[in-house]
Amino acid sequence: MSRAIRRGIPAILAAVTLAGLTIAAQAPAGRGRGGQNSAPAPPAAAATAEPLSALAPENLNKPRPKAPFDLTGNWFISGSVPGGGWLFGRTPAVLPTLTPNAQKHFDAYAAAVKEGKVYRDDIGQCWPAGMPVIMTRVWPITMIQLPTAVYMMSEFMNSLRVIYTDGRPHTDPDVVVRTFNGESIGKWEGDTLVVDTRYFTDLDKHWVDQGIPASKDFRMVERYKLINNGNTLEGEWTLIDPQNWEGEWKGTRRWNRVNDHDIQEVECLPDMNQHLQSTSSSVHIR
Amino acid sequence: MRRLLIASALAVGLVTPLLGHHSPAAFEATKTVTLVGTVKEFRWQNPHSWIEIMVPNDKGQDVLWAVELTSPTYLVKGGWKSNTLKPGDKVTVVGRPLKTGEPGSAIFTSVTLADGRTLTERPARLGGPAAP
Repeated sequence: MSRAIRRGIPAILAAVTLAGLTIAAQAPAGRGRGGQNSAPAPPAAAATAEPLSALAPENLNKPRPKAPFDLTGNWFISGSVPGGGWLFGRTPAVLPTLTPNAQKHFDAYAAAVKEGKVYRDDIGQCWPAGMPVIMTRVWPITMIQLPTAVYMMSEFMNSLRVIYTDGRPHTDPDVVVRTFNGESIGKWEGDTLVVDTRYFTDLDKHWVDQGIPASKDFRMVERYKLINNGNTLEGEWTLIDPQNWEGEWKGTRRWNRVNDHDIQEVECLPDMNQHLQSTSSSVHIR
Repeated sequence: MRRLLIASALAVGLVTPLLGHHSPAAFEATKTVTLVGTVKEFRWQNPHSWIEIMVPNDKGQDVLWAVELTSPTYLVKGGWKSNTLKPGDKVTVVGRPLKTGEPGSAIFTSVTLADGRTLTERPARLGGPAAP
């Protein structure tokens, strides 16, 4: 994600919050999100064939089944699920069968660890963590749920992730701009939010864990539920990347609700790495 | 007096903070280095704060060490403020050095100030008790 986009996140947050407040104000008494008949008349420009934004009042107010839960809040990764992995700091306890390409990187990573060195720590060099690592950083994630989308902002590098739940399909692959967090389309299945994320960057700076790369064909399917009286978010993950491992790599992660912290601006500044030999010394294998 | 001490020690009572910004693989897990010196700069910022400290070596030459701390979020919980350290302060810093033995870089464990107070940092954890 570019610095310009990251710097725009406070504005996005404000817009999302404002949109939520607007919808709440427009909804008739006793009607939750997804109510209808309260949208203002669409501007003339909306008469074109362009799809509606997730924040367009006409889209927000479309009649939809009430979502089974609301993710709005701050969340912090829980260490209660054994197995490790996708933390970028703990080698996974169970690895899938890696392809020769991924095995080459993992072997180099393991050899570096034995020498007290660091292999291809691109996050430390200010490259975006990307999915799935951004979801498991030891930094809180702010989530704002609207009828049309779930907006996620990780405090770590203020990384933005949007899960669209307004029924739109994935973007034409010939048009989509590939990113480190991918394009996420969600749908509700009973009491579960199912998210399909694809279209990841083809840059060789995207890793699913230390020494395990993600290719442009990487894909994630996440199934989320709220448990523990709404205080714990549980996600069952399936990771697929035929360029780097065989079959499906599955795991479960949990996040605890955080009620005493608001995310701040967190930038990875070149100045920091100039000062910290932990990211600039000879122990790094680039 | 030997100003630079390297000792193997268990970090009793301390939980090793996980680093969000970069891999911790290059740093010792339990071995610590004790740095007695003078603060050159203390930066209060995200994702990490840091202390730059000038430490005399055995030959009396000043060596620059950069000691990396957690984010201010967890430092505040440990009693820190942005002005806890200032350039020129005489301090004793304990940290975990690089596994390679290369001097100049460490992950923070504790600091003892000129007034005798010792400050640590809190583990990078937020939220309620662990989920079932």
